[in-house]
Amino acid sequence: MDYVDLIFAMMGLSALLSVVATALAIRSKDLLNAVIFSSVQSVAYALIYFLLLAPDIVLVYVAVSVGIYPLILILLIKKVGRYETKQNWEQLKGGDV
Amino acid sequence: MATLLDWALVIIGQALITIGVFCDLAAAISMLRFPNFYTRLHALTVGSVGGAFVPIVGVAFIAAGSEFLGVYRWFLAGSSLVIAVVELLLAGSGSHAIARATHRAKAAPTQPIIVDKLEEERGG
Amino acid sequence: MVEVMDLEWWVITYLTALMIPYVISFFLYTIRMFKGPTLPDRVIAVDALGYDLAAFLTILTILLKSPIMIVCSVVLILWIYSLDIYVAKYLESKELGG
Repeated sequence: MDYVDLIFAMMGLSALLSVVATALAIRSKDLLNAVIFSSVQSVAYALIYFLLLAPDIVLVYVAVSVGIYPLILILLIKKVGRYETKQNWEQLKGGDV
Repeated sequence: MATLLDWALVIIGQALITIGVFCDLAAAISMLRFPNFYTRLHALTVGSVGGAFVPIVGVAFIAAGSEFLGVYRWFLAGSSLVIAVVELLLAGSGSHAIARATHRAKAAPTQPIIVDKLEEERGG
Repeated sequence: MVEVMDLEWWVITYLTALMIPYVISFFLYTIRMFKGPTLPDRVIAVDALGYDLAAFLTILTILLKSPIMIVCSVVLILWIYSLDIYVAKYLESKELGG
């Protein structure tokens, strides 16, 4: 088996993994779990960009999406609250700001 | 034209990568089978040091012995050694940080347990 | 020196055969990440996944024959370590009342 077939198969598998991780990140009620699932999606995308022979895109993508973006979100979660409850949704929809 | 020294370097490098693959598979299987968070920490450090430090040193040996890569193979070998030393220092520090934070915040249950001396010393 | 076999063919075949156990172990780490009941279990799985992916990328630079691609694995190791530190600081300051 040639190693080019293996490289294309790995690109497909990691793209599939990123779709599953993104779906779970949108649907989870615990906001810290969503941050971790978003980091897994970024690691899968870093592998795809590496296999497409683009090192400058990998450097910028990993630095922003695994390094800076979870930092800002965790600082935000410390202020707001960790769980997304029905009470927050009622307050948003009812216009009671 | 590959000399005897090139073959010796490549064989040593491939042996190190084989050890690394075995350690990595053992760490991945035991991450699924261990019953507790605190026992899975051992699987994390086995996968980090045995599964990532040893293969990168093996890649340095292989790159130093391959003629077909051109004159850049010395850049690959030196860079791989630097990456291996960075990984060795950071893996232990990161796992200690997450273990200490989890024990103080009680974020994971310490369930199949016999004795917890750290908890008794802290007065919990 | 009598040539037994071609060095390039031997290195490429051996490294191609060794890529498959790495992909299997990535799959097992992601199963623990989707299954882990608490938050630190998930952080540990992402941690191990990142470090082993960095080792896999250094093996791939020999197969792809392009020596500039090795800088991508240092960056991955350093930022995955900092993700550990962020979650550790969040958990610990909540407990101390900060």
